Amino acid sequence: MTAIDIDDLTKHYGDVVAVNELNLAVEEGEIFGFLGPNGAGKSTTIDILLDFSRPTSGSVTVLGHDAQSEGQAVRRRTGVLPDGYHVYDRLTGRQHLEFVVELKDVDDDPTELLERVRIADAADRKAGGYSKGMRQRLALAMALAGDPDLLVLDEPSTGLDPNGAREMRELIREENDRGTTVFFSSHIMEQVEAVCDRVAIINRGELVAVDTIDGLRDASETGEVLYVEVDDVSEAVVERVAGLESVADASTQDGRLRVVVADATKFAVLQAIDASVTPVRDFSVVESSLEDLFVRYTNDEQEVRV
Amino acid sequence: MTWIAVAKKDFRDAVQSRALWALVGVFVLLSVFSTYAYIEVPQLFGEPAGATFGGLVFFTVGLTSLFVPLAAIVVCYKSLAGERELGSIKLLLSLPTTRLHVYAGKTVGRAGVLAFGLGVGLLVGLGFGAVLLGAVAVVPIALFLVATLGFAAAYASIIVGLSATTGSTTRATTLALGFFVVFELFWDVIPVAILYVINGLALPTSMPDWIFPVMQVSPSAAYFSTVVALLPDLSASVSAGGQAGVGMSPAEAEPFYTAPEIGIVVLVLWTIVAFLVGYTRFEAADV
Repeated sequence: MTAIDIDDLTKHYGDVVAVNELNLAVEEGEIFGFLGPNGAGKSTTIDILLDFSRPTSGSVTVLGHDAQSEGQAVRRRTGVLPDGYHVYDRLTGRQHLEFVVELKDVDDDPTELLERVRIADAADRKAGGYSKGMRQRLALAMALAGDPDLLVLDEPSTGLDPNGAREMRELIREENDRGTTVFFSSHIMEQVEAVCDRVAIINRGELVAVDTIDGLRDASETGEVLYVEVDDVSEAVVERVAGLESVADASTQDGRLRVVVADATKFAVLQAIDASVTPVRDFSVVESSLEDLFVRYTNDEQEVRV
Repeated sequence: MTWIAVAKKDFRDAVQSRALWALVGVFVLLSVFSTYAYIEVPQLFGEPAGATFGGLVFFTVGLTSLFVPLAAIVVCYKSLAGERELGSIKLLLSLPTTRLHVYAGKTVGRAGVLAFGLGVGLLVGLGFGAVLLGAVAVVPIALFLVATLGFAAAYASIIVGLSATTGSTTRATTLALGFFVVFELFWDVIPVAILYVINGLALPTSMPDWIFPVMQVSPSAAYFSTVVALLPDLSASVSAGGQAGVGMSPAEAEPFYTAPEIGIVVLVLWTIVAFLVGYTRFEAADV
């Protein structure tokens, strides 16, 4: 069963194309990361998902309901932590939750919800005096009210310190264990990597990759990278290393050889360089980080290749 | 019925507005002071026969017809534009409600805040007058309150409607103040100016009948007529102190649209039209 089905979605703001013919399906029960640099179209997509904005063309179906024509049915089963939101400064944390509980027509206890996000001690203070992290926790508590089937979290770690970000991840996992589908956006790969089953990478309004974390790792040509120290890092040496059968790509970086390992063991590559090109003095291994991959996907090729 | 929850939340929020209570404070001071002046020296206010409760009510209309528009602007101009500018509307629209319910809840909530502030102000002002006069007229007060609350509802609807057309509080302020300037400050002048022009740059000796309903387009003029329509006996006994066009006697064979009841129609129309325009714009907006 599909929790979110985005079909040929396009959104223009005047001349600006925020999202261009986006297709994406999020399955029920998964934690789905929606990754992209700032301004890539993540928030626009989420805004349309929640009917804050209307699509130029295409459609979005959430939990079997059309996001535009049946928005209320969608939001009845969806908990939302929007991006760029603002709390009601003159209302207390408890009043926020009382309002949400009444509107969602559920019987959750506001205090319990505030305890889950660890701001119960500030329940009766006006939210205008909350710190950024506390506001984020309050908004999360509002999203969790009513035990939704789907959580849509737009940049959930905004304003949270590392500890808070970890607690946020724990809450996401907890909710997911109870069967909740989680869709969350981020511009930081590390956060997505830590919890997501699958990831979509979006750049300039277009989808550039959808896969599992492992799949993304496997699919990337930066499988593994070796930094090899040799005496001679001339153009000729680089060319000869690149020509080796076990090497996918070779270049120089900081006076060392940067070698991308192809379908072979690192040991075989080192041996091949040592034996047939130039003596190896030292080497280090870098496991391809997804951050690297993310940068690669979302920057122009020329900027990445040094 | 999620609009009730929205209205309650909005009331809780907006009733804490300091600007509103500053305005209520000024209103109370002004009404206490002027009530006192009216009762002590009624001759000054065109009542050589002495102060009456009816006179006091009409006197208060002059105050409320200024207070309500200003208070409505203060309470309502940010109602939707402010939530959109800050982004709190995203928390609201993330919930299982619709834009119609949000819009209706906003209008009702803000009208409630306005009514509350107004109620406090009037209670103190008229209460003070009743004590000084040693008399209370319950029915006129009730009818006066009905008219004033209707006026407040119309103004809340207008300013919320204007606020719904934009996501910028700066523009919302401009629209609200612009409305006030055009329909409250200049509206007396505009129809007369038109008349002046079409009459060949001279004022006619008598005003044509259509001038009256055109004047009533201004919500505060409609409000005054509404009070006259609801309290015909009082208005007959009180010289309506220079307020244009409402002193005419019902005995004359005037066209129906010169009856003061037109004020009620105008207030209802303002409420409905503003609601529809504001809602249509809000419904279509990317927030």
